[in-house]
Amino acid sequence: MTMFVLRRLLGLMPVLAVAIGLTFAALQALPGDPVAVMLSDHSADAELAARLRAEYGLDQPVWRQFLTYVAHIAAGDFGLSFRFVHTPVIDVLADGLKVSPILALAALAVAFPLGAFAGSYAAIHRNRWPDTAVILFLVAGISIPNFALATFLVYVLSIKLGVLPVAGWGTLDRAVLPVMILAIPCAAYLARLARALMLEVLQHDYVRTARAKGMSERAVVWRHAFRNVLVPLLTQTGVIFGGLLSTTFVVETIFNIPGLGRLAIQSIFARDYPVAMAIILLFTLFYAVINLMVDVLCAAIDPRLRAEGGSRP
Amino acid sequence: MTDLPVAAISVGPADPGRLAYRFVRDPKACAGAAIVVLLVAIAALAPVLAPYPYDDTDLLAAWVPPSSAHWIGTDKLGRDILSRLLFGARTSLLVSVSVLGITLTVGMALGMLAGYLGGWVDSVVSRLADIVFAFPDVVFAILVAAVLGPSMLTVIVALSIVWWPGVARLTRALVLVQRNETFVEAAVVCGTPVARILVRHILPNIVPPLIVRASIGIGFIIMSEATLSLLGLGVQEPQPSWGSMIRDGLEALRTDPYLALSGSAMLAVTIIGFNLLGDGLRDLLDPKLAGSLR
Repeated sequence: MTMFVLRRLLGLMPVLAVAIGLTFAALQALPGDPVAVMLSDHSADAELAARLRAEYGLDQPVWRQFLTYVAHIAAGDFGLSFRFVHTPVIDVLADGLKVSPILALAALAVAFPLGAFAGSYAAIHRNRWPDTAVILFLVAGISIPNFALATFLVYVLSIKLGVLPVAGWGTLDRAVLPVMILAIPCAAYLARLARALMLEVLQHDYVRTARAKGMSERAVVWRHAFRNVLVPLLTQTGVIFGGLLSTTFVVETIFNIPGLGRLAIQSIFARDYPVAMAIILLFTLFYAVINLMVDVLCAAIDPRLRAEGGSRP
Repeated sequence: MTDLPVAAISVGPADPGRLAYRFVRDPKACAGAAIVVLLVAIAALAPVLAPYPYDDTDLLAAWVPPSSAHWIGTDKLGRDILSRLLFGARTSLLVSVSVLGITLTVGMALGMLAGYLGGWVDSVVSRLADIVFAFPDVVFAILVAAVLGPSMLTVIVALSIVWWPGVARLTRALVLVQRNETFVEAAVVCGTPVARILVRHILPNIVPPLIVRASIGIGFIIMSEATLSLLGLGVQEPQPSWGSMIRDGLEALRTDPYLALSGSAMLAVTIIGFNLLGDGLRDLLDPKLAGSLR
């Protein structure tokens, strides 16, 4: 098991190397001179420009800049922001780091039970009205883009009925809509999987055995079958998380939430590329680590997966 | 037909009449097909259908509510929303067809070579795909869009880079199955050139799953284009995109909800249409996948 974890950790290295290389290349290729952005109305001041260039290391050759970039990232330092001169990127990110993970975890906490339960419930009532209702929810949840859903829900719940605030962050009622928007597509995706898995699991022999023993239908489904639906669902958490990270940009922008997603977009338009690239790097790292944790968790549950080349069920 | 084993159904050309019959019997697939046909018609006939040019500004008539002159009202520059919605279908379809064309060509070519040749070609293609897979898809698209600067071309390039590895990986997996079939071995023994084996012998057998993949992918591509445009990284003014229209509309949702609501409705119906069609095609062309996990 330890070897398995170590091997997976080593497998993380190329991903990180590529992400670091790509974000650095992007920083080099991005349009505009960062010093000109920082100076804005003082652009004629050549001495100030030279000093800033030195402070940001922009006077160094590219290869040296790259080595500095790598060394700093290894130490958890993402360099200095272009927009907030002299300010380390990590300080700019600090507030967002407190917001985005809460948002994502809250959405996951809502989506997982909802999706697992709705999908299983639909499978048990196959081809009857609960199933039809869940399938309609699936098609709508997967197909309707998050921002279109946000438009409809904000219009109805916030503007017409006035039960929830339109945007903002900091109080519980303000979190309801963003978390719903993030959770609904994930829940729909999980419910589709759960439905298919439950339909398959109910065909197994041990379900028939449990029924033959005279167990109540409720116990058969929820104690025996449902557990076997949960494990494969768990393996999808990585995929779900990738989707959540992507949706964060939109939801935070629409609801004006001071998280990393909104900050990344603002930074791109403000030409504060070190901040934008740091966020992209962080998201990639989150994504890789979550996938790794899911792999390890699955291997802990199912020893067959620890073997070399073992793939997830 | 019903007595044939499953393998016989999925391999070889199916009877087109029978397929058409099964397609027509599926109400979801028909609804999807109807929406898609309507959308293509709207995109093709936009200049005829639209009552105004999409960039016809009239600042004196900004945010006009729906009336007989402007059926869905006007936006902040006094442009007719209905006209812009209709032309927006062109943007969506143009981007998605371009991305699909590029990714199917590149992804299938690389996937077939990787799957058939194996060795270092396979390694290079697979590693390239892994790099893209390491990023959450929209995150990677935003990275590309930031470097290239916002434009419609940027969206096409960014989404193509994100989308081709999926096609390549699927193609590679399909080719790996076909490569050891007897008819391929026979072709090799006869001295058939590799290119001919790939195009004439293997390609026809792997097309159905790729059609399914493409039809499901269009919904994803349209959604991603709208996402990038909504964030301001995609299609730029005055060209209409549903995503940027929704962004403009959200700012005025309280007072003038028609822009955001109509844009969202267009986008939602479009993507539902493509997804229904995709699901229908999957059930039709890929019986093994029907009702499976993906």
